[in-house]
Amino acid sequence: MTDQSESTHPLAPIFVKAWDDYASACQSLFQRLSDPSAAGSAPMSMAFFAPWREFAQTLGMDLNPQSGQQFKAQSLFAGAFPALGISREYQQIAQRLFDLTGRFQRCYAEFQQQGADMAQIAVKSMHRPNGKESPVANSPAAVYEAWIESAEAAYGQIAHGEAFARRLADLCNILSEFKIERGKLLERIARHLDLPSRAEVDSLHRQIRALTAVAHKPVPAKRKGAKSRRRRAT
Amino acid sequence: MSTPEESLATLLQALHQIGDVEVGTSLRTCDYAEDKIKLYHYAPLARPAKFPPLLICYAMVNRPYMLDLQPDRSLIRELLYAGVDVYLLDWGYPDGADRFTALEEYICGYLGRCVEFILEKASIKSLNLLGICQGGTLALCYAVLQPQRVANLITMVTPVDFKTPENLLSKWAQHIDLELLTQSGNVSGEFLNLIYLALMPFRLTQQKYVNLLQMQGNRAQLENFMRMEKWIFDSPDQPARAFREFVQWFFQENRLIRGELVLGGKAVLLENIKQPVLNIYAANDHLVPPSASIPLGAHIGSKDYQSLQVDVGHIGMYVSSKARQTVPTAITRWLQKRSSQGVKRSAQGVARKRRR
Repeated sequence: MTDQSESTHPLAPIFVKAWDDYASACQSLFQRLSDPSAAGSAPMSMAFFAPWREFAQTLGMDLNPQSGQQFKAQSLFAGAFPALGISREYQQIAQRLFDLTGRFQRCYAEFQQQGADMAQIAVKSMHRPNGKESPVANSPAAVYEAWIESAEAAYGQIAHGEAFARRLADLCNILSEFKIERGKLLERIARHLDLPSRAEVDSLHRQIRALTAVAHKPVPAKRKGAKSRRRRAT
Repeated sequence: MSTPEESLATLLQALHQIGDVEVGTSLRTCDYAEDKIKLYHYAPLARPAKFPPLLICYAMVNRPYMLDLQPDRSLIRELLYAGVDVYLLDWGYPDGADRFTALEEYICGYLGRCVEFILEKASIKSLNLLGICQGGTLALCYAVLQPQRVANLITMVTPVDFKTPENLLSKWAQHIDLELLTQSGNVSGEFLNLIYLALMPFRLTQQKYVNLLQMQGNRAQLENFMRMEKWIFDSPDQPARAFREFVQWFFQENRLIRGELVLGGKAVLLENIKQPVLNIYAANDHLVPPSASIPLGAHIGSKDYQSLQVDVGHIGMYVSSKARQTVPTAITRWLQKRSSQGVKRSAQGVARKRRR
């Protein structure tokens, strides 16, 4: 039996139960296969599929397409659930992409909050321009101009702040990480399809650069008199 | 009086009729090419001035045709009319093959070889160098490393101190993880465009298009608008390594003004700039604020330093009528004066030798 007490992930007990059921189903299957007297009798049971079917259903992967339930990827990836099996590396990439998506959403929400603050400042300053008559009473064009002025001024105040710069950099950094993970996935797919991968192209570029550098390297000038000395020697 | 709907329909139809616009109209030949870069030589439009050719080193983050956008809005054309022999270094559109190219290779390699090419072609020992925006920073580095090759240096809307309070771009760059950003290749031009738009989002993504409605009947104005629009979003991808080095060394670490920049194993010290320098900056520049350009004078070793403030924005420096009336004339006169002073100095030198 597997010890269930060490894992803290909410899905761990369900997974461990599925694993134990699968192991015992396999055990009975192997026993039957090793028993020559059982050959040719009743058809073999496929019971070892059942634990994983139940496990999949727990995750929301309803095997009945009519039920309308959707697969909840977050149940699979939200935590320290280990990536296993033949697709382990794909799972890891998918998990990282999922984590990054979550981080991006949180960061973007904070960023949007700053945008909302900015809009409030802009509207306030539009109604109370410094010592000037409120443009609201004037033409629509004047109101629009005043709005742009106020919005840019308010945006400028916030955009110059440290918090804005940090949020913007966070968003940029998360997107960079996302691009790297997506690149890893594409790299694997390219290999499967026998297409040139980014790594291969980079490697070629490096080799060409090295060759070009050698070709451009100035040839050291021959020492004066070297030729004549050689001639004399022969 | 037409309704807003009618105005919009007329505008859209007019824009549709304009279609693709032509940019870069002055006659030129490509004299030298290497990998993605091209060195253009412009055909003269007037009697040649009596000073060495002027090489323009533009930024890598935008396309240089902004300097020759259309016949009546062209810094290059104005210089040609003044008799200046103009060369332009076009960095091209870097691609995956350039992702490992170092900043040093762009400055000491490509820029250096273009300079060498012009010097050899014109049989001269030094030329005049005009660096614009980021190209100005690269030109400064080159002038420090190869002082004998640069007779006179002109910088235009060039950042020197990258960490001044008004520099929004610099504030945003401080926390960006450049290793991550460039790990998966070149930095896309679209990403840069988004950053530029984010500097003034309401003006650049809303107001300017609303203002279009006011010029619906004016085809010439609409064409001007479309040329600008084409240029603004025509940002080349940035070669990963060079971009990482530029942002880290200049924006994040401010190495140039701190005297901590090293290229090709040599320290890039601004105090080693001894040749005459003209520093032109825009008073209302939202990309390179005046505070980023002005400190140049205090850090170079040249005794002949002059600055010129033009009351325009960053882009206005290339295309506004105000800049057009001021900048080409200022450059030409400044070069002419240095050239005649140089002639006088060399004549005095000959006389002194003779006396001895």
